[in-house]
Amino acid sequence: MANGALSRLPLAYVGQRLVLMLVTLWAVITLTFFLMHAVPGGPFVSEKMLAPEIEAALNAKYGLDEPIWRQYLNYLGSVITFDLGPSFKYPGMSVNEMIAEGLPVTAQTGLLAVLCVVALGVPLGVAAALNRNRWPDTAVMTIATIGAAIPSYVIATVCLYIFALRLGWVPAFGLDDWRGYFLPVFALSGFWLSFIARLTRSSLLETLDQDYMTTARAKGLKRRKILLKHGLRNSLIPVVTIMGPVIANLLTGSFVIEQIFALPGIGRHFVLSITNRDYTAIMGITIFYAAFLMLMIFIVDMLYVWLDPRIDYRRRA
Amino acid sequence: MTELLNVTGLTTSFHTSRGRVQAVRGVDLTVKPGEILGIVGESGSGKSVTCMSILRLLKRQGRIEGGSAVFDGRDLMELDEDALTDLRGNEIGVIFQDPMSSLNPTLTVGEQVIETVLRHRNIGRRAARARAVELFEMVRIPSAATRVDAYPHEFSGGMRQRVMIAIALACEPKLLIADEPTTALDVTIQRQILSLIKELQGRLGMAVILITHDLGVIAETADRVMVMYGGMVMEEAPVAEIFALPRHPYTRGLMASIPDPRTAGEGRLSPIPGTPPDMSDPPKGCPFAPRCPVAMRVCAEEMPRLYEAGGPANRSRCWLMDEAAPARAPYNTEDAA
Repeated sequence: MANGALSRLPLAYVGQRLVLMLVTLWAVITLTFFLMHAVPGGPFVSEKMLAPEIEAALNAKYGLDEPIWRQYLNYLGSVITFDLGPSFKYPGMSVNEMIAEGLPVTAQTGLLAVLCVVALGVPLGVAAALNRNRWPDTAVMTIATIGAAIPSYVIATVCLYIFALRLGWVPAFGLDDWRGYFLPVFALSGFWLSFIARLTRSSLLETLDQDYMTTARAKGLKRRKILLKHGLRNSLIPVVTIMGPVIANLLTGSFVIEQIFALPGIGRHFVLSITNRDYTAIMGITIFYAAFLMLMIFIVDMLYVWLDPRIDYRRRA
Repeated sequence: MTELLNVTGLTTSFHTSRGRVQAVRGVDLTVKPGEILGIVGESGSGKSVTCMSILRLLKRQGRIEGGSAVFDGRDLMELDEDALTDLRGNEIGVIFQDPMSSLNPTLTVGEQVIETVLRHRNIGRRAARARAVELFEMVRIPSAATRVDAYPHEFSGGMRQRVMIAIALACEPKLLIADEPTTALDVTIQRQILSLIKELQGRLGMAVILITHDLGVIAETADRVMVMYGGMVMEEAPVAEIFALPRHPYTRGLMASIPDPRTAGEGRLSPIPGTPPDMSDPPKGCPFAPRCPVAMRVCAEEMPRLYEAGGPANRSRCWLMDEAAPARAPYNTEDAA
């Protein structure tokens, strides 16, 4: 069966997709680059006016005095060698270093959040679907609606107040203590956890109504087997689809959560680099996020071959 | 006790947002070992729901509200879930209407046969697989040995229905319920599937309940016919007799609406005027009375019982069968046909 699945995923198609990803990445780079430069101001413009000669020297140092197309080509040239350039605002630090420093922190909390989303969201959705319109369903759906509606920073601050300040169960900031992970992971996963629970529920309910589920019952299969073998597998296909972007989203962190819990992650660079007009940081982080998102979507698309035998990429190659 | 299946007073309703829909209202039926019982009726007449109720395979909103179904000495309505699942797919097999949606798209067709065999037979996976190949050969799926590893989407509708038949017959059931097995198929394929069912029925000696709205299918396949309307049995008779002399006005209407090849293109079809009753608020009397060309006053007022009509195996739910009926003569005597 595994062989059968692989045969529906020809190398030519994988290659085609990878090339397409590079083209998309180039489009992202180009668009971001020119949009960024179209916005008035620059990295060295601030309330404290710099002396014109210092500004000119800085611009010359970072190549900002060259024509824009030249800057663009220079940048493209360095990106190809995976060099995202020096940060304009943190002297002596490259964007590569910025990402390398912040990513582990972000990825750790993000990965835990992903686990949380899958390990709790899917079972909760299943429990709700199997108890349709009874109290477990109502309970899960109520919590999921609240979880999806309340912004993460509200969840974060309220939890911080109750569990860190009032009860003192967990530290209020930092990840030095393993208990420090609880609140950021919870706040980070809240929205997607609710989303996945709702999606799993509706997808499973739809599957349970399919004719082949009646066939499975007519064969005399046990309830458990019907649910796991016939029900769950089919209903998880849309869940897996959405997990690609969800993983990309969670692993690249959240500005708000990292701000509230004082986590030295990559998420805050997303926002700070923009207000700082830190050109290379904006570019670098955007490229990183875009590449990561595309990679996740790519992986999910490849996984389809195993999930759904009707997917056959041979015809697309 | 010569009957394999004996259903009495089966009553099933669906609880929908529009209220309670009385799909089956007190159906009695019997099936003898090895016979083919045809159930005919329009959409919504309760024929499918009757059979799904017997197996307790109704979807969520369906509720069996009364009656019994004794199969081989056991009342299916009283069995616990375990005993019932032991029986489903083992002693009673089912084929559904739409082969496009009744197979799980993410499992190989072979696996869908194998899991049925493994569930009911104490044999290993290898033996179950061999059995699946054997079944595929029996239902004449070409290159059975390799096709067991294919997925449903790689099969045509007719081939999928063959897979469904293989699943239903995997454990050599005593009863096969075929719920409109050919309705979703091309006409040429219909014939193949029907003759396959009939052939296997003869070879395996099983009984069949064949649900259809196609009288032609009934004429070719069934031994005995039950006509349903408005969730009730309207008429029941051996197949030759019902075509020779339909007793119930509804059956007559059905027969009259079959296009006659001898007059094809000349005359018009003569459909039964009107529409079937709304089963969330069924008429007080005979459900067919509002559309019946020979309805009397009593028909709308009171439900007729099933009269014995013309023979011990013939029943008809019509006031014309009553001794007091004034116009019973043309509908109740041999020379009326």
